[in-house]
Amino acid sequence: MEALQNLGISLGYLIVQIINFAVMFWVLKKWAYPPIMDMLEKRRQIIAKGLEDARIAAEARANAEKEAEKILAEARAKASQIVREASERAEAVAREIKAEAEAEAAKIREEGVEAAKAERERILRELRSQVAMLAIAAAQKLIGEALDEKRQHQLLNEFFSGVKDGKVTILDDAEDLPADEAEVISALPLTDEEKEVIIKDLLAKVGKEVKVTFKVDPSIMGGLVIRIGDKVLDGSVSGQLQELRESLV
Amino acid sequence: MDAQSIITAAKLIGAGLAMIGALGGGIGIGLSANGAVQGIARNPDVAGPIQTNMILGIAFAEAVAIYCLVVALLILFVVK
Amino acid sequence: MADPKQDAGKKSKFKEIGLPLLIAAVLGAIGWYFFPPIMPHVQLPAEKLTHHPLISLPMPIGDIYLTNTLVATFLVDLVLLALVFAVQKAAKSGDLIPRGIVGVFEATLEAIYNLTETTAGKWTKVIFPYFATFFFVVLIANWTELLPGVDSIGFLHKVEEGVHGYAAQGPFLIKQPGPYHVTPWVRVASTDLNFTIALALVSVFMTQVIGVRALGLPYFTKFFNIKAIFTVKPWWMGLIDFFVSILEIISETAKIISFSFRLFGNLFAGSVMLFVIGYLVPVLLQSAVLLLEAFVGIVQALVFGMLTLMFMALATHPHGGEHEEAHA
Repeated sequence: MEALQNLGISLGYLIVQIINFAVMFWVLKKWAYPPIMDMLEKRRQIIAKGLEDARIAAEARANAEKEAEKILAEARAKASQIVREASERAEAVAREIKAEAEAEAAKIREEGVEAAKAERERILRELRSQVAMLAIAAAQKLIGEALDEKRQHQLLNEFFSGVKDGKVTILDDAEDLPADEAEVISALPLTDEEKEVIIKDLLAKVGKEVKVTFKVDPSIMGGLVIRIGDKVLDGSVSGQLQELRESLV
Repeated sequence: MDAQSIITAAKLIGAGLAMIGALGGGIGIGLSANGAVQGIARNPDVAGPIQTNMILGIAFAEAVAIYCLVVALLILFVVK
Repeated sequence: MADPKQDAGKKSKFKEIGLPLLIAAVLGAIGWYFFPPIMPHVQLPAEKLTHHPLISLPMPIGDIYLTNTLVATFLVDLVLLALVFAVQKAAKSGDLIPRGIVGVFEATLEAIYNLTETTAGKWTKVIFPYFATFFFVVLIANWTELLPGVDSIGFLHKVEEGVHGYAAQGPFLIKQPGPYHVTPWVRVASTDLNFTIALALVSVFMTQVIGVRALGLPYFTKFFNIKAIFTVKPWWMGLIDFFVSILEIISETAKIISFSFRLFGNLFAGSVMLFVIGYLVPVLLQSAVLLLEAFVGIVQALVFGMLTLMFMALATHPHGGEHEEAHA
């Protein structure tokens, strides 16, 4: 007991100190720790919320970027499609225009050719009577005997048209004519009556409706060449001259 | 030489002898610092916890020396 | 503006540190010469400041005087109450970022809480206030030692004889003949065994309370392991377990002594060292010792708190595991 007293330990002070500590413990536990812990907790929550918000914002931004990229890609695809379509349309239009132009050109050319042909035919037809006159005059000089004028004209016409007494001479002994398009070539243009005779004759020979086209080719000199299918009936003067030359040579 | 002088002399000698025990505390502090420094040298990443534990260990080792001091003080001031 | 200041800072290193030290040394030497310090009077029990007891109670308790350590204890209480008021004010202001002393308090509490959490697990909420209160009470009690005037300003009273009585010629005194003692008005609370033992008793007692709360009445099998005599196979092993459990009681008692004397010894030794050093070398050296004492003060507070935490955390664990550990 005395040793404790020498150390200064006594029950009274001990109790005072314990009570003092208990009071301080109670005060601190009640009024000091909870506000601080609340503060810490609140701050922790705020930080967590801030982080969460930042995360959400980042996510939203990433989404927006993706969306923007998608929209951009779509727009790009659309643009390229439009360009392609436009160029296709332009090409088509160009092609159309070209085709039209070509057709036009062809038509004009054809028309030109046709006109030229008609012109030549007209000129040759005019020439025909003069040639006949010249030939008659030359023949009168040569044979001295004048045939009557009507007979002379008939002979010449027969020479040029290959049509004698309403009949086509080269068709007389022609056989097995194919029923095909026929082309009639004469040295000088034929009159309408002669053409009618030829068509009628051809129809009679072939026995079928055929398309007949007439062509003028002064190089055959006279007579007719009828091209029907793969057959050629040559009743021209130049053809006869050729035959003559071959037989001589 | 009266009895009181002898007692005083014995108290002083006794207090001095009691403080020899502080030797153990010193050795303990040295050992704990040794181990802590080695640990930190091997793994500097855990320097923080090692230092905390080292200080705790030093406090415990020092407590032994402090007990010696308390005994010395008791001898000096409490024993009549 | 920054550059010249920096240059001045380099130049004024002497001005800032060297010159004050020089002045202090000179003043100290003068003071030492004209007013030699008093060899302090070392006394274990706290000194009474009043002639009449504050409260008179029947014998087992005895008279309670106002002692200088009680004054220091109330000082600690005042500081803690001021802290509580500051915390309350900060909490009312709704500011989540505490400033000043509340900020320091908050940071310390957070560290203590985290430390408790790593050790105590789900009992953190229960154990944390004990750890924190022990830490702050002991810390502030220890740091009163650093205040000027503590342990050095007080009543002067003449003593008839004794080794400690020297002529008092301190700055507060008129030169007087004869041996004198200074009875300081404030003495560090931790240098009073009543304070440390009270804290140790609370710590150990609350450890038992928490143990019972965690494990119920089986907690006491830690102390009276009668069951071991019948269950552990070789009967003499069970008997050993039983005696080991009895030893636990002694261990708990030793905890009280260890707690109280560790704190008391450190702080008492620190105080004695401070004024003995002050007596021997009045300037400079005492400042270094003050720094050391500040460190000792915080370490002892931390040790007191952490030991309480560890014992309490240990008490919440069932002791079956401990046994196996002991056998392994």
